[in-house]
Amino acid sequence: MNARLLRMATLPVALIALWEALGRALGGPRTPLPSKVAGEAALLIMSGDLPAALAQSLGRVFSGFAIAAAIAIPLGIAMGRLRAVERNLDPVIESFRPVAAIAMLPLAILWLGAGSGAAVMLVAYAAFFPILIHAVAGAKGVDANLARAAATMGVSGATLARSVIMPAAMPQIAVGLRIGLAVAWTAIVAAELAVGAKAGGGASGGVGQMMFAYYAYSIELNRIIVCMIAVGLVSLALDRLMRFALARAMPWIET
Amino acid sequence: MTIDLQSVRKEFVARDGARTPAVEDVSLTLGEGEFVVIVGPSGCGKTTVLNMIAGLERPTAGAILADGRPVTGPGVDRGVMFQDYALFPWRTVAENVAFPLRFGPAGAGLSGAAIGDRVDATLTLVGLAAARDKYPHQLSGGMRQRVALARLLSYEPKVLLMDEPLAALDAQTRTILQDELLRIWGQDGPAASRRTVLFITHAIDEAVFLADRVVVMSSHPGRVREIVPVDLPRPRNDATRADPDFQRIAQHIWSLIKNEAYRAATS
Repeated sequence: MNARLLRMATLPVALIALWEALGRALGGPRTPLPSKVAGEAALLIMSGDLPAALAQSLGRVFSGFAIAAAIAIPLGIAMGRLRAVERNLDPVIESFRPVAAIAMLPLAILWLGAGSGAAVMLVAYAAFFPILIHAVAGAKGVDANLARAAATMGVSGATLARSVIMPAAMPQIAVGLRIGLAVAWTAIVAAELAVGAKAGGGASGGVGQMMFAYYAYSIELNRIIVCMIAVGLVSLALDRLMRFALARAMPWIET
Repeated sequence: MTIDLQSVRKEFVARDGARTPAVEDVSLTLGEGEFVVIVGPSGCGKTTVLNMIAGLERPTAGAILADGRPVTGPGVDRGVMFQDYALFPWRTVAENVAFPLRFGPAGAGLSGAAIGDRVDATLTLVGLAAARDKYPHQLSGGMRQRVALARLLSYEPKVLLMDEPLAALDAQTRTILQDELLRIWGQDGPAASRRTVLFITHAIDEAVFLADRVVVMSSHPGRVREIVPVDLPRPRNDATRADPDFQRIAQHIWSLIKNEAYRAATS
């Protein structure tokens, strides 16, 4: 175990040491160094600024993600089961899908202002597509015999969708939810960076806006790197949490 | 409930428009409380006949009547046990058995407690009380079969349609479940308390052991070759299997399907 840990740590530690050495030897006064980044990280965490910014970003991610899931799952099941719904909606959805979430930003800000509303909308938009596409595939892939069995017990329509199709499609929907959450977290940083620019470093908050302020106003590269690392760690934690929650929600799946 | 098939024909139409007759001119009546078994080689349309009675498929021609009324679709008066059991993998044993009562019309007006009581009673009947909180993937084939049977019995359909329910089991488990099936069907009790059963198998001894009448079908297209009455006394048990009459009837049925079975096995 310790030998394995040592092997895993060797390369990262070496790279950080190299960065520190090169930065000191060749860099100027603003060059970010691991030692400075660590110091800034400690300051930002102790002051509560970084936790507060992350909490605000996470709140937006969860809101946007919840909105996306609440629309995409039922819609995806309807599209997967009802040919007419799919035929009508598929062209519309497929023409929006290549439009990046960030390209929705001007509309989002015009409609909802340069605050949480716009950021939540972008997150919801970004997370919507992966969840929808997996829900459609999941609903289509449901074992036909299960639906037939339910039909012989007099179960059909919305009750069938709720009691059979949705749980049977759940493993596939879970994949969509995991991807959707990861995409949502990516989108929130981009959205807050951009909303931050529009708001002029105002009160929109969040970790993306925090990065924008360090970039546009105080030029603190060390702090930007702290934010980047925090974004990566939160993303990892979110995925682990999601996998844990999904495994708990689907005890019938052997893992 | 009685089921009446009148000159039923079923054609399957492929994408390219080609028509394949699956069932041709099948006429058959299932009497109230009667245990009827269909045997026949694969491709004889026995599952198609069962699906049409269940309302899962429509006949191309002819009529199917349940207590005199035409069958237009699935209904809770005709319960089906599928060959692969069609259990819901995300529900425990007890939840699977409760499913038709919780989500279907058969449970309308039943309180949660009443449904729970019914589930417990049914699980006890099929010997599954100890496995109630397990998921299907944690069970053996024989236990899954019992769950499917319990789910079928829980909502008390008047007709039980069973599509090769024992086919996937080993010989010992099969024998035990044949005995249990007859017990649950009510062979020890008065004939009036029994439900109508249509049971499909390709095992001749199983057919003779269970049935009041065996419907022997031939294939391509599926037709009724002969309907063989089984007048062995009930209750039936291990002694029945050794009865010379049992052997005689089984031999007769084998002689009816032997040629086709050989052809199917060597083609």
